[in-house]
Amino acid sequence: MNREKPKYTIWQNVQYMLAIAWKNKVYSVMALCVLASILQILSSLTGMLITPVILRCVEKKAPLITLFITVFVFAVMLMVWSGLSTYVECVNSWAGRADIRRYLMQMVMKKSCTTSYPNLEDPEVLRIRRQAEKAVRGTREATEAVWTTLSEILKNIGGFIIYLWMLTAVDPVVIVVTALTAVLGYMIKRRAKNWQYQHRDEIADYELKTWYILRKSQDVKLAKDLRIFGMENWLKDVYASVMTLYRGYFFRRERLYLLTDCINVVFAVLRNGIAYSYLIYMVLADNLLVSEFLLYFAAVGGFTTWIGGILDAFGMLHEQSLDLSIMREYLEMPETFWSDSKTGEKKEVPLTKESGCLELRGVSFRYPGAKEDTIHKMDLILSPGEKLAVVGMNGAGKTTLVKLLCGFYNPTEGEILYNGVDIRNYDRREYYSLFSAVFQKFSVLETTFAENVAQTDEGIDMERVKQCVEKAGLAKLAESLPDGYQTHIGRKVFLDGTELSGGELQKLMLARALYKDAPILVLDEPTAALDPISENDIYRRYYEMTGSHTSIYISHRLASTRFCDRIIYMNKGKITESGTHEELLQAGGGYARLYEMQSKYYREGMVDGEERKNIL
Amino acid sequence: MEKNEKISFKEVLMLHRRGLMIFWRMCPSIFFSRLCYALITGVTPYVMVYLSARLVGEMVGNREERQIIILVVSVLAAGLLLGIISDCIKRWKLYANAAIWQDKDRVLIHKLLDMDFAAMDDSNTHNLLAQIQQNAMFGGAGIFQIPEYFEKCVSAAVNILCAVFLTMGLFIKKVPDSAGTLGKLNHPIWIVVLLGMLFLTAMLACHIHQKSNKYFTGCIHEAELGNRIWGFFMFEMADIERAMDMRIYNQQDISLHYFDKNNNFAMLMERLAKGRMGLTKGLSAVVAVSFQGVIDLFICLKAWAGAFDIGMVTQYIGSISALYNGVEALLKTYGDLQNNAPFLRTTFEFLDIPNEMYQGSLTVEKRQDRRYEIEFRDVSFRYPSSEEWVLRHISFRFHVGERLAIVGENGSGKTTFIKLLCRLYDPTEGVILLNGIDIRKYNYREYMSVFAVVFQDFQLLSCSLGENMAAGKIYEKEKVEQCLVKAGFGDRLRELPKGLETCLYKNFDKEGIELSGGESQKVALARALYKDAPFVILDEPTAALDPEAEQKVYEKFNEIAGDKTAIYISHRLSSCRLCDVIAVFDKGNIVQHGSHESLLKETEGKYYQLWYAQAQYYIEEQERQNMWKKLMAD
Repeated sequence: MNREKPKYTIWQNVQYMLAIAWKNKVYSVMALCVLASILQILSSLTGMLITPVILRCVEKKAPLITLFITVFVFAVMLMVWSGLSTYVECVNSWAGRADIRRYLMQMVMKKSCTTSYPNLEDPEVLRIRRQAEKAVRGTREATEAVWTTLSEILKNIGGFIIYLWMLTAVDPVVIVVTALTAVLGYMIKRRAKNWQYQHRDEIADYELKTWYILRKSQDVKLAKDLRIFGMENWLKDVYASVMTLYRGYFFRRERLYLLTDCINVVFAVLRNGIAYSYLIYMVLADNLLVSEFLLYFAAVGGFTTWIGGILDAFGMLHEQSLDLSIMREYLEMPETFWSDSKTGEKKEVPLTKESGCLELRGVSFRYPGAKEDTIHKMDLILSPGEKLAVVGMNGAGKTTLVKLLCGFYNPTEGEILYNGVDIRNYDRREYYSLFSAVFQKFSVLETTFAENVAQTDEGIDMERVKQCVEKAGLAKLAESLPDGYQTHIGRKVFLDGTELSGGELQKLMLARALYKDAPILVLDEPTAALDPISENDIYRRYYEMTGSHTSIYISHRLASTRFCDRIIYMNKGKITESGTHEELLQAGGGYARLYEMQSKYYREGMVDGEERKNIL
Repeated sequence: MEKNEKISFKEVLMLHRRGLMIFWRMCPSIFFSRLCYALITGVTPYVMVYLSARLVGEMVGNREERQIIILVVSVLAAGLLLGIISDCIKRWKLYANAAIWQDKDRVLIHKLLDMDFAAMDDSNTHNLLAQIQQNAMFGGAGIFQIPEYFEKCVSAAVNILCAVFLTMGLFIKKVPDSAGTLGKLNHPIWIVVLLGMLFLTAMLACHIHQKSNKYFTGCIHEAELGNRIWGFFMFEMADIERAMDMRIYNQQDISLHYFDKNNNFAMLMERLAKGRMGLTKGLSAVVAVSFQGVIDLFICLKAWAGAFDIGMVTQYIGSISALYNGVEALLKTYGDLQNNAPFLRTTFEFLDIPNEMYQGSLTVEKRQDRRYEIEFRDVSFRYPSSEEWVLRHISFRFHVGERLAIVGENGSGKTTFIKLLCRLYDPTEGVILLNGIDIRKYNYREYMSVFAVVFQDFQLLSCSLGENMAAGKIYEKEKVEQCLVKAGFGDRLRELPKGLETCLYKNFDKEGIELSGGESQKVALARALYKDAPFVILDEPTAALDPEAEQKVYEKFNEIAGDKTAIYISHRLSSCRLCDVIAVFDKGNIVQHGSHESLLKETEGKYYQLWYAQAQYYIEEQERQNMWKKLMAD
């Protein structure tokens, strides 16, 4: 159904899944699949044979004891098959195959979390990623359901062969007609499925919208705006209009399926008509017992089911194989930032963990698809232990500069050097270990407080955790928490967790950066959510916190630049001014202007209301 | 909640009746269609069984050609007709079902939108909601299963009725006397014995089945925790917003480790599936089919003895197993209802969260002169679940047309003060008065019309710009544009080809626009202006702005505030210079109140401390250096 050609064939994907099962020592999966299909064939066969066989006993007035034994044997067989197959199904759904999906889920997650940063902004990669995530997300997705499909295929092929063999006694015309109606019926059904597939974007769109409204209506932040501005009817309206669209879609879909169903009913009637005519003719000609008539008639029906089953199962396998193929494509996507054995690229330059010199040499950076450089021909040397402040307007490129320095992007032009070596020659994951950072968007773990500081759940140095928390001005909070340092943060995972305020989170992130104690400390607006006193507290202890480490501090509050050795002022992707606070003030450029703007409100003198109105 | 406690038969039914009524009001056709479907699928097999039994009978018996042709034709015609009818009903049912399935969250959404803010802000509400959603995802338990149960019950009932009707002959038709000892099968005791066995087997099978289900529901807590771990560490952690921290701190390691460490549920289930749970499930399946053997034997014996012909054998076997299945399905469904009842309790607990705020009916007078005076009279407040006072004995009067700055440390009660003012919460003690009347006596909507607020964490929705401005589908184009221009969004607005119809964000519209932090803030400000309320409240409006943009907001502040009463909350104390009066909050009290100049004179006061924490970096050089030295020496 998918027009694009998948990278791997069905057979390759089946092999892949088997290999993964083998690698994870989940040997039982395949055996269970085969067992399940055999049991189902047996129970279907027994179910079909039971009535005709005992009828035959009655019809032929066989001795009572034979009747007893026949019924008994069949009953026991039925009990055994259905008991065993229920058991196998139960084991199958909880053991083995779930482990394989878990394994793949972890692989996908690991890939998403460690993939080279620019991939996260590439729409094509994101599309593949979404599909890969979907493929591991639930029990009905390809990575787990494929085993059921394989088992279905085995079962249906097995049934098909047995029934074909049974029907050899019957005229081949009956078999051909039966097979033909089954195939035709399948093709018509497929058309309807195709329609549904083509409309999948439409439905995904509606789903996204209802999900959005549900999510927004449970959002406490919106809840305030919602009540103040009286938005509830608006949201209800939007929701209702999506529902109208939904119903329209479902109506069209079910109408199409109804047509398909009706055609299939006609086929079934045709097939039964031919089978009846032929078999009744045989009975009337005394070539067939009535019990055999029943058997064959049932066999014709069963035969159709098997053929339909084979076609359905292969259709399903085809779809699942597409999903698996995309997931593999995602997992095997080459990484430019790592040493990669697959691409043969090796990044073996060892990294010195001591504070080194970081240098930008003629660096330009342009976002994919953008018309202008965000960073333009920039040179910058950051010597070990230097404390640098970066200031500038929104959109001047400060955050992009930090992303370049931290190695999230490669420059479009020029090079970034660490200790004189282009950072492209280091394994990027190792390069990241040089940095401690507090970015504007942070990732808080829904684990314990201490684990959030240490970023690990093993071998936490509690002494150091406490020191860092103290330094970040959070010690009081940590002690007031219900379980102290072992309190869970957030309630998404552990329901006994505590929600922290924005300011508290910001301090926690600072403590985390201090704990990591990497040679270069990057702080991007780390005090935006703090009150003046906590903010001042952090400024005052900046030297103590950063110690001998190199540090980069980005802020809108020019006060913060005072404790830095050097300030760079950025404008439109370039460093237009550089120097100490005093030097920049004397230069009278952009920095001085910003400083003037911010400081005039703080200066004494303009006190009375009249004067205030004059400045504005 | 204890999931394993026994819930009485009556309560189980009452809970489901209530759930049923909810769906009934939403869409009665899901029940009609399911009823019709149960009827047609219940009747169809009997018609077919009946006709084909006649056919077989005819072939064994007279073999009259015309009769056989008529029967074959009627079998086929019945197949065609019933097939088409049942397909029509099936599609109707599926249509209704798909529609209601998509619409299932409506109950929750409406409840959420209409509840008091206090309830919305309560973590218990969100816990309940999370439980409901998890249960629905996990095995589909909860209110959404009700239409399914309804259909199961109806179709079981239809099956039983039809089956009873078709089975009657089995007991009525007598074995001829010539059959000797088999004549004993005519004794009515057999009816009792067979029906008794039927019920016993069905009950036993259901009982065992229930037991096997208990293994699963017994692990529901592990399952829920497992689900949350799984959702958070496997999917949410991979979110792009987290990507930078993820790489710097190698967070995938701890995530994977947590995921592995908390694998109890999977291991538990695997062990249970291989052991007790799997075995009981298997046993229940064995018991369920065991009755088939007994009944087959009885029917065959009677036929063998000559009570009826072979054709009837197929009919009786078919109908009596249908009878058995009907009984079993009914019992199983009851078991399901019992299992589902605790989940329904959770759902109703959520839906029954009361709106406790008293709502009066007074309307707020529309005054041209905007003389809306609000007064806090000895107001204290603590959050419902907490012992700690957030605000204590606050008495405060807002003067009409005044600009008020509120400052204080994090957690000093500033935001809570605003929440009380806007009646997101009611005071625990004391009263708030609007023009001398307790605000609780006003109609809630009316009272809300007095305020326009830009909260620190304001939200815009992925809808059109115009709709966002008006917080509704209909907006006045001119006024919206004016407000946007006034808020400083004019330049960007002119660049937009679709103008006010431009969608915000790209979630739903590829041509939607992304807004920077500063731009969103301008839109939020414009939204507040559009509302044109007598009170304008700005909570940290410049946190995301650079100095120049901040300066612009300051410059606009007077224009925005106009003749309204304005409240400005900020950590940037420079903003205090814009205001007539400053209220300083500390530990839930207003500790200082007055103009900037008068407050600065109180050198021991909180305001002095707050002000100089920031101002030291901006004041004259000599003074600054002294200050800096002094601070470093501390």
